[in-house]
Amino acid sequence: MKTFEEDKELRQLLKSVKPESPGPGFSARVMNRIFAEQPALEQVKQSPVLGKGFWIILALFAVLFAAVALVSGGGSASEQTPALLQQVNTDAVLTGYRAFFEKIANLPAGIAGIFMGASLLVLLEKFLYSGKHAIS
Amino acid sequence: MENKDDNYYIGKVLEGQTNYFSYIVERYQNIVFSIALKVLRNREDAEEMAQESFVKAYKSLHTFQGKAKFSTWLYRITYNTCISETRKKKQHFASTDEVQISDEAEEMNLDGIPEENREKVVKAALEKLPEDEYTLIVLYYFEDQSVEEISKVTGLTESNTKVKLHRARKKLYTILNEMLKEDLYTIL
Repeated sequence: MKTFEEDKELRQLLKSVKPESPGPGFSARVMNRIFAEQPALEQVKQSPVLGKGFWIILALFAVLFAAVALVSGGGSASEQTPALLQQVNTDAVLTGYRAFFEKIANLPAGIAGIFMGASLLVLLEKFLYSGKHAIS
Repeated sequence: MENKDDNYYIGKVLEGQTNYFSYIVERYQNIVFSIALKVLRNREDAEEMAQESFVKAYKSLHTFQGKAKFSTWLYRITYNTCISETRKKKQHFASTDEVQISDEAEEMNLDGIPEENREKVVKAALEKLPEDEYTLIVLYYFEDQSVEEISKVTGLTESNTKVKLHRARKKLYTILNEMLKEDLYTIL
């Protein structure tokens, strides 16, 4: 009994049969569709996957993260102010800064978590939305 | 038509010369259409999905890494596009699984098929195979794809591909045998 690999006769027989072919002008129709979609494809290729909005949100997130790290690191905010800022008259700024972070520090950890989670989701959505354009 | 290998045309298309994609379409349109027709069983839908497969291939050509043959990659796109379409339309075709495979069929002499209607008989027999078995037979015997390549197209494991190929071949022989017997009775 022959195995399917050894069946040269069947291969020969099938090769003698012409496969089904699409209607005339098939190739032209495909190319027309490709040319019709090309401007949109070019636009997608040219627009960066990560748009301006993504970088703005990322920058804001980084600033927020740095600020939280400064405040929660222990000690007062003025102790952690970089030396460069100490040379500047920052009283007014520091007062506002302290008031803002004191309020934030009094918030329960759960709420802070919700804020962080929401920011991450917005960031993720933005990222996925940009990626979708590139795939489809 | 220039007779260069696929990589030449792919390179040209990726350089921005979209026109060169038409060589690829010309080269593969029959097999792509045959697979689509077998899965969708309707010339109009098959042509639509064959077009869709080529457009998809064009759009993702930059992701083709050349590790596998281009044809394997293209047939995979075609097969998946057509299968998704049948699922989307919730089409279900009655398969010909009821064909009882007989051992004697395998011993038949293929030269016994009269030459004048050989093409017609073989086409009719292929028509009776379910779409997955048809795809396996066409890719293996007609397109000379290896078991490994076919498993990439269909998503089956290599061992499963071998088992299915073996079964599909037997089924094809059984169908051919039945058809020849019927022809003989008609003549007598």
